Amino acid sequence: MKVENDSHFHLETESAPARSLSEVPLNRWWRIERLEGPHEECNRLLDLGFTPGEEVIVTHAAPLGDPLVIRVRGALLALRKREAAWIFVE
Amino acid sequence: MTTRIQEVEDQTRELTVCLVGMPNSGKTTLMNAITGGNFKTANYPGVTVSLLRGKSKAEFGCTLNVVDLPGVHSPVAPSPEEELACRVIEGNHERVRPDAFVLVVDATQLERHLKFAGFVAKQGKAVVVALTMMDLLRQSDQSVDVEKLARALGVPVVPVDPRTGGGVPELVKTVHAFADAPPIGSALARLPDEPVSAFKLIRELLQRSHAVRRAGRLSVGMDSPTARIDRIVLHRYWGFPVFFVVLISLFAAIFWAAQPFMDLIDAGFSDAGDLLLRVLPDSVISRFLAQGIVGGIGAVAVFFPQIMILFFLMTLLEDSGYLARGATLVDRPLSYLGLHGRSFVPMLSGFACAIPAVLAARAIPARRERLLTIWIIPLMSCSARLPVYALLLSALLPAGSAWKQGLSLAAIYVGSLLIASLTAGLASRLVFDYRKPSLLAMELPVYRSPRWKPILRMTWARGSSYLRRAGVPIMTVSACLWLLSNFAFSSQSIVTPAKMETSVAAQLGHKMEPALRPMGVDWRVGVGLISAFAAREVFVSSMAIVFHVDGDDDQTAQAGLLEQMRTATFPGTSQLIFTPSSIFGLIVFFFFSLQCFSTVAVVRRETNSWRLAGLQLAFYTGVGYILAVASVQILRALGVA
Repeated sequence: MKVENDSHFHLETESAPARSLSEVPLNRWWRIERLEGPHEECNRLLDLGFTPGEEVIVTHAAPLGDPLVIRVRGALLALRKREAAWIFVE
Repeated sequence: MTTRIQEVEDQTRELTVCLVGMPNSGKTTLMNAITGGNFKTANYPGVTVSLLRGKSKAEFGCTLNVVDLPGVHSPVAPSPEEELACRVIEGNHERVRPDAFVLVVDATQLERHLKFAGFVAKQGKAVVVALTMMDLLRQSDQSVDVEKLARALGVPVVPVDPRTGGGVPELVKTVHAFADAPPIGSALARLPDEPVSAFKLIRELLQRSHAVRRAGRLSVGMDSPTARIDRIVLHRYWGFPVFFVVLISLFAAIFWAAQPFMDLIDAGFSDAGDLLLRVLPDSVISRFLAQGIVGGIGAVAVFFPQIMILFFLMTLLEDSGYLARGATLVDRPLSYLGLHGRSFVPMLSGFACAIPAVLAARAIPARRERLLTIWIIPLMSCSARLPVYALLLSALLPAGSAWKQGLSLAAIYVGSLLIASLTAGLASRLVFDYRKPSLLAMELPVYRSPRWKPILRMTWARGSSYLRRAGVPIMTVSACLWLLSNFAFSSQSIVTPAKMETSVAAQLGHKMEPALRPMGVDWRVGVGLISAFAAREVFVSSMAIVFHVDGDDDQTAQAGLLEQMRTATFPGTSQLIFTPSSIFGLIVFFFFSLQCFSTVAVVRRETNSWRLAGLQLAFYTGVGYILAVASVQILRALGVA
């Protein structure tokens, strides 16, 4: 886990405060800091691979701005903005 | 001695092996490769979800009973499909008792798939990992060392390519060899349930064993064909036009491409009926066989081409990966109505037939959204209504104005979608708490070129299962209706053959007359409306019976019926029955009312109670009646005849 922190975007994440995944710009990697939302739903998100420390990227927003398409652990998942807002990244 | 008996037993005993894995891991394709396509959908009581069942091909040496379970995203908060799979995995299913599991794992998403694998490995049954999508690894700049992976996990790992059948014989042999060796104490079985530490352990396992090698993380999948297609398909401006083109082609195929086949089947069955009448001596029995039975089978079979085309294209879209994108596109508008992105497939299927549509609603994870989807499906203008609308519109609009009829039909279709949306929006706000939607969390699979053989097999499996499911009730009802309209209770209370006017159906029709008069029609239309509960299109043929239309081929029958309808009057008066107002009222009635016993039966089975099914039947038929009466009376008050 330590080794991963040494990639070049480490500098970027240091200065940025935690924001929710629903409002970050597209096509940039983010590291999940924490999940904050309804208990059951967050458990399911964890189960799908959205765990703290993991890197994610928002690759698309659907034409109406919602849902978002997010790449995590090699998979593409569509999440509603409401759900993405529970994922805080840095 | 005992060891010899043991050996014999081992050879004859057939192992039951379940294919388990996350959705899109290639399970069903693997099922095809193992069984040689020799499987069928099997329905199980209790939770009615279809499982695919088959036997492994003889050339692999040992026979396995293979069951393909629905894909599971996560054992937390599952949909009915996932729940069934979890029940089988945990050994709680009364009919399917697996001896071993084949865990189908996508090599490009090892971490996520192994997390689920941990859940399966804990059950104390033998586990063999089948590693799929190996050919996609290069695209994502990764490589997997199978031997190191097997050592790290402590379970046998067999790379397979279900599309070519590569690795499948080895997989079958491995399953047989390890069937009695559950992976107790292996790293996979020791994974914790708690996701954060489980994912951490999996990554450590993979890194320590050097089973997975990756080039840089940033390049992962960013320039793959999938990403390039998604840039167009999910594009801000192009996304919806592409989606609508796909939808329109789907509709065109369902309606136009199926038409010649439907005409052929229709003609074939009416010829078969005529032939029976000519060959057999004229009696009640021969007429029952020709009209009641052959006609009943025809009423079901005529929809077969449409249903097959629908299933084929749906399977094709699903297999290629586009269906998930379509669901993503429409999730925003649908969730505003209290529905789910996945509601889109059932709604679309509803335009062909409500029965596969209700079945397709199983994939919706949240109960509330699934019930709401099932609730609005009967409003979708299914293809059984098409012949009815065609007849009524040509009676309503003057001949030679085909474009007016076409336009009205299009308006009916769009109207049904709008009314369904309105109903869903209102119901979600009044009945359900729409502010608490479920999780979307839908996986978008990698685009793959279609595999024709599995798609065709799947289409056949789904289509024939539909025929069995819908065919029996439709045929039964149509046979009963034939009996009702050809027999009467005579004075000695003996049932005797009778003409239409004196039959049981006519007697029932006369009893209904007070309810039918406000709709502007008489008992004969009432008989047609009741017979339409077998299947809506039966309305047309029973109208032909009650209005004494006899024509040899379809064309003249339709024209003759129209002619009869133009001149039909209420008995004993010169007042016309089919006026613009009463025809419009009938269209309104067919638009809303749930005249389909098969749909009611399927909804009951899918929801496991009569409540929703009965409510739906009463509500839509009631609303249809009230609105039909209202529109007839308003039109008359406005001076329309």
